[in-house]
Amino acid sequence: MRTDKLASLIWNTVVFIGCVLLSLVVVWPILFTLSSAVSPGRSAAALSPLPFANGFTFDNFAHLFTDTLYPRWFLNSFIVAVSTSIGTLLVASLAAYVFSRFTFTFKGSLLTSMIVLQIFPSFVGMIAVYVVLVRIGALDALWGLVLVYLAGNLPYSIWLVKSYLDTIPKGLDEAARIDGASHFRIFATIVMPVARPILIFLAVTTFAAPWMDFIFPKLVLRSTETQTLALGLISFVSEKNSDFTTFAAGAVIVAIPFMVFFLVTQRTLVTSLSTGAVKG
Amino acid sequence: MTMTSPPRAEAAPAPAEPAGRDPGRARVRMLALSFMGLAHLTVLRQRYKGAAFAAVEIAFLAFVPHLLTRLGGLVTLGEPEPSVPVKFRDNSLFMLVDGVLALAVVAAFAAVYWISVRSALADHRLGTHTRSTPARTQLATMATRAFPVAGLAPTVLLILFFVVVPLVFSALVAFTNYSSPQHLPPGNTVDWVGLDNFGDMLGGDQMWTGALGRVFVWTVVWAVLAVATCYAGGMILAVVLHESKIRVKPLFQAIFILPYAVPAVVSLLVWRNMLNGAFGSVNKTLMELGIIDQAIPWLTAPLLARFTVILVNLWCGFPYFMLLTLSAMTAIPQDVKEAAALDGASGLQRFRYVVLPLVLYQTAPLIIMSFAFNFNNFGAIYFLTNGDPTVADTTVTGAGATDILVSWLYQITIGLMKYNYGSVVAVLIFLVLAPIAIMQFRRTKSFKGDF
Repeated sequence: MRTDKLASLIWNTVVFIGCVLLSLVVVWPILFTLSSAVSPGRSAAALSPLPFANGFTFDNFAHLFTDTLYPRWFLNSFIVAVSTSIGTLLVASLAAYVFSRFTFTFKGSLLTSMIVLQIFPSFVGMIAVYVVLVRIGALDALWGLVLVYLAGNLPYSIWLVKSYLDTIPKGLDEAARIDGASHFRIFATIVMPVARPILIFLAVTTFAAPWMDFIFPKLVLRSTETQTLALGLISFVSEKNSDFTTFAAGAVIVAIPFMVFFLVTQRTLVTSLSTGAVKG
Repeated sequence: MTMTSPPRAEAAPAPAEPAGRDPGRARVRMLALSFMGLAHLTVLRQRYKGAAFAAVEIAFLAFVPHLLTRLGGLVTLGEPEPSVPVKFRDNSLFMLVDGVLALAVVAAFAAVYWISVRSALADHRLGTHTRSTPARTQLATMATRAFPVAGLAPTVLLILFFVVVPLVFSALVAFTNYSSPQHLPPGNTVDWVGLDNFGDMLGGDQMWTGALGRVFVWTVVWAVLAVATCYAGGMILAVVLHESKIRVKPLFQAIFILPYAVPAVVSLLVWRNMLNGAFGSVNKTLMELGIIDQAIPWLTAPLLARFTVILVNLWCGFPYFMLLTLSAMTAIPQDVKEAAALDGASGLQRFRYVVLPLVLYQTAPLIIMSFAFNFNNFGAIYFLTNGDPTVADTTVTGAGATDILVSWLYQITIGLMKYNYGSVVAVLIFLVLAPIAIMQFRRTKSFKGDF
C-alpha cells in the first residue's frame, strides 16, 4: 500500500511539473504579444525577451486608432461577418429543410455535389471568382466578398443543418400540414425553432471565420478603405520594416473577445462539432 | 428543381400503370419533349404550370444566339490581333469565363427541361387536373409545389456561379497556355494546348517535375505528421488530465485551450516573429539562458524549418483534439468502467481495452477530416514561413522547402502568374482529396436514405 501511495505521489508530481512546463510554452507567445502591445517602439527586434520588461505604454493603441485605418477595417470585417452569417443561416437552413423533407428530381446528384464541393480549398478557383466579380461590378466591394463567402459556406452548412433536421421527427411538420399550414410557415415556425442549437453553432462559426481570412479579401478588396482586419494587421508585419508592436496591439483587440467567447462556449462548440461529424 | 414526385406528406402515389402500354403516356412524353410545357398546356390542362415552363424555354431560345457566341469564344479563345489597341483585343480570360458561364446556363436549362418532362409524366400518371379545375386551385397547387424550387434556387445559383464555374474554369485552364509572360490577357491571347502542361509537370520539364514531386511528398508527410502529432498530443494530455488527481486541473485545462481560442493567423504571425533567426525572442531567450551559443535558424534551414512548422502547428492544433478526447471520455458511461474494474482490470488495462477503443471510435472520423484540412492548410505554411527557405529550383518554380501544394499553388498563380501550371496543381489536389470526400460521405448516415 505504501509503495502505491508513493508511486502515485511521484506520478502526480511528474504530471504537475509537465503541465507547468507545457503551460509556459503555451502561454509564452500570448504573453509576448500582450507585452509587445504595450511596449514602446515599433520593431520587435529591440524588445527584451522577458515579458513586460520594456516599459508600459498605450502609444501603440493610440497609434492604431489615430494614424491607421484600424477602426475602419474593424467595421468592414464586422459588416462582412454579420452579413455572411445571416446570409448563410437564411439560405442554408431553407435549402437544408428542402433537402431533408422533400423528394425531387436531381436530389441525389445535388447532395453528392455538395459533399464533393465541400472539400475544395475555395481559392482554387480564385481567378474565375475575380472575373465573375468584375463582371457583376462587385470588385473592391464588401458585398462581393460576402457573396463569395456565402457561396463557399453553403455546401458544408447545408450538409450540417440537413443532418440535424433529419433527426427531427417528421410527424411534427406533418401534423402542422394537416392543420393547413404552408410549407414556409412550417419551416419558419416549427422546424427552425427546434433546430436552434445547430443554427446557433452555424451562426457563430460563420461569423467568426471572415475575421481572419486572408486570400479572398486580398483578391477582392483593392483600396485601403475597404480592407478587412486580417489584411490590415498583416500589412503591419509583412513589409520589411516590421511594425510588430502595432500589430500586437491590433491583434490583442481582436483576440480578446475571441478568447473570452471560446472559453465560455468551448464545451458547446466542441460537442456540436464532434456530433455533427460523427453522426453525419 | 421542380418537384416531380409529390412531397411525401401530400399525396400517396397512385398505383402505377404498366409503362409503355399506355398510349396517352407516350403522347404526353412526346409533347413534353417537343417543347417545354406543351404537354401541361394541352393534354394535362395545367395552364399556369405549362405557361411557366414555356416561358423558360422561350427565354432560353431568345438567348441562344448570345450563348452560341460565348460557346464559340470558349472554343477559339480569341485571335491574336497585334495591330488592334490592347483595349479592343480579344480577351481570352473573359472569353473562357463567359464560355463556362454559358455552359452553366445550358446545363441549368437542360436540367429544367428534364424536370418538366418528368413532371408532365408524373402529372399524367396522377391525373391531378381536369378541364374544370379552377384557376385558384391550380395556382395554389403550384405555389405549394414551387416551395422546394424557391428554397433551393438561391443555393443552386450561388454555388453554380461562385463555386462550380470557378472550379470548372480552373480545371480548364490546366489545358491552356495561360501564363506569364507570353500568354497573358489582355495583351495576348491564350490557346488550348491539350495535355502539354500535364506533360511538363509529370516528366517533361525536369525542374517543375522535380518540384512537384518534392512538394507532393512533403504535403503528404506534413498532413500525416500534423494530424498525428496533434492527435497524439491532444489525446495524451486529455488522458493525463482526466486520470490525474491534481487539484488545479481546471486551471491547466483552461490554459491548454488558449491556443485554440487565438485566431490562427495571429498566433502564426507571432510565432514567425518569435522564431526569427536574428532577433526572435526564442533564440534570445535560449542564449540568455546559456542553452545555445549561436542563433538557431528555425525558419531558414530547410529541414529544421519543416520540423518547426510541424511543432508550431502542434501548438495551434493540439487543444482541439484535447477537447474532443475529453468530451469523448466523459461520454463513456461510468458502469462500463466499473464493470471492467469488477472483472479485475487494472487501471492501465481499463484504459487500454475500454476507454481507448471507445475514444478512438468516436474520434476516428475526425482524423480523416483533419487530414483533408491539413492537406490544404494554407495559413499554417503561408503565414509562418511563406514557403521559405528557398531551395535550388525556387527561382524558377516558386516552390520553397516548406511549401505544400496549396501554398505553392498560391505562389504559382499570384507570384509567378503561371496559371496553367497552377491549375495542374489544383487538379492534382482534387484527385487526392475527392476520394477522401466520397469515402467520408458514404459513411454518413443521413445521406444513405436519399439515394
